[in-house]
Amino acid sequence: MTGAVPAVVCAAVCPSPPLLAPELTGHGDVLPGLRAACAAAVARLLAADPDVVVVAGAGSATATWDPDGRLDLSAYAPALSAGGKPGLPLALGLGVMLLDTAGYAGPRVLQAVGDQAPAAECLGLGASLRGLAPRVGLLAMGDGSARRGVAAPGHLDVRAARFDASVECALRDGDMAALAALDPDLARDLLATGRAVWQVLAGAMGAGGAAGIPAGQVLYADAPLGVGYLVAVLGPLSHEVDS
Amino acid sequence: MTGATGPREPGPLVLHGRTFPPGRLLVMAIVNRTPDSFYRPGLTWDEGAALERVHQVVAEGADILDVGGVPAKPGEEVTAEEEIRRVVPFIAAVRAAYPDLVISADTWRHEVGRAACEAGADLLNDTWGGWDPELTEVAAEFGAGLVCSHAGGLPPRTRPFRVSYPDVMADVLDRVLGLADRALRAGVRPTGIVIDPAHDFGKNTWHSLEITRRLGELTATGWPVLMSASRKDFVGETLGAGIEDRLSGTLAVTAVGAWLGARIFRAHDVAQTRHALDMVAAVRGDLVPARTVRGLA
Repeated sequence: MTGAVPAVVCAAVCPSPPLLAPELTGHGDVLPGLRAACAAAVARLLAADPDVVVVAGAGSATATWDPDGRLDLSAYAPALSAGGKPGLPLALGLGVMLLDTAGYAGPRVLQAVGDQAPAAECLGLGASLRGLAPRVGLLAMGDGSARRGVAAPGHLDVRAARFDASVECALRDGDMAALAALDPDLARDLLATGRAVWQVLAGAMGAGGAAGIPAGQVLYADAPLGVGYLVAVLGPLSHEVDS
Repeated sequence: MTGATGPREPGPLVLHGRTFPPGRLLVMAIVNRTPDSFYRPGLTWDEGAALERVHQVVAEGADILDVGGVPAKPGEEVTAEEEIRRVVPFIAAVRAAYPDLVISADTWRHEVGRAACEAGADLLNDTWGGWDPELTEVAAEFGAGLVCSHAGGLPPRTRPFRVSYPDVMADVLDRVLGLADRALRAGVRPTGIVIDPAHDFGKNTWHSLEITRRLGELTATGWPVLMSASRKDFVGETLGAGIEDRLSGTLAVTAVGAWLGARIFRAHDVAQTRHALDMVAAVRGDLVPARTVRGLA
């Protein structure tokens, strides 16, 4: 017989730009490739049959949010509202949108991660998520640098592409130690708001543990509008052990 | 029967079997089958050129085509027979080419209106304010729409001469609502009745500016309001601009009219008018922008 150790069985990594919400972008289909990749990553996450999905996304402070909360776009387009449900920080709201769109109706934990949280705190937070259920699914909503070109929101920083590429590599290689080692000061300089969330991911996957994790699959890595968008899937991972 | 004089709930406009809800802003493209209209005279006198313009304005987003055969200004007489010769075969040709397009006939004469409806016209644009009462009966008979306009009581093809009103907007309201009421009583479809203050018709520039400023009083009646201001003299006199330089002024007036609730805009410059109206609709929250990514990446 087998017994399950509480663990993250699968993680999906998606960016959290407002434009992921179709309501914000007008008639045109904006970045359909990015949207499709996010949907595919979430589908893979849900296919791993998690008992609970943790959505981790950048917020002004580390805190858990009401699981009934919904995406609130009113601060971006005043005519849009959260429809009476409690409004969430953008990244969490977009994660919820992706889950809802995928038809997920199971339990969810909405975890905001303070964007200035130190790496150790993020890793610890991630590790604590593993104990939430026998099979934890993690949707990590985080963005690369907003300085990927002269037309980027933060204009060009020549270090930005290298930084984003290092994250892409880490995800592809399952190298959680590399995510754990991301420099918060550099990330802040580069307007890479995903740093803290990626370090939560690293903690959740067991960065620094003896066992490495299998290679991830990167579904999207580009910066069509000057912001680095990364979509990836880590897992499904087997944590079954003989007893 | 409900009279036209009291305010009514704004409802859909139905033309050619197509339903246009109150928030929808419609461009009515001008196609003159005349050699001597005021803007670019003779541009579409040739039938081939006129059809070419139809193709163009449809591509540019026109919702309605307004075909006229007699210029508004005084000039050589155009008989009803000649007017029919100018517009009716053309309307038939447009109808054949564009089965779904709403076609309007710009005429004050019932004989022309009848022939136009038989050829496929859906709306009778009676710019001269009910000069020929029988035109209303034609609209009723064919189920066509009817534009009820204020021309200050002037006979067709005359210019205002020292025209004065104690209150021009009151006169406009009185006239167009009276015509709408008459149309209702004659059996014209309520969903086909449109009112038009008719800028410049029986008005000096001050009058036209006043009716633009107070257009909300007209739209508050609930009837769909047609605004016909394209490159007109009141724009030219206001800006000191010749006919070729009146587009920006026209678009400004168009935007004001749309903001105040007008629903149909008769225009020479279709693409630009479409853009101006789409912009107003988006500001109003009635139109979703084409593509928005600024600040959202």
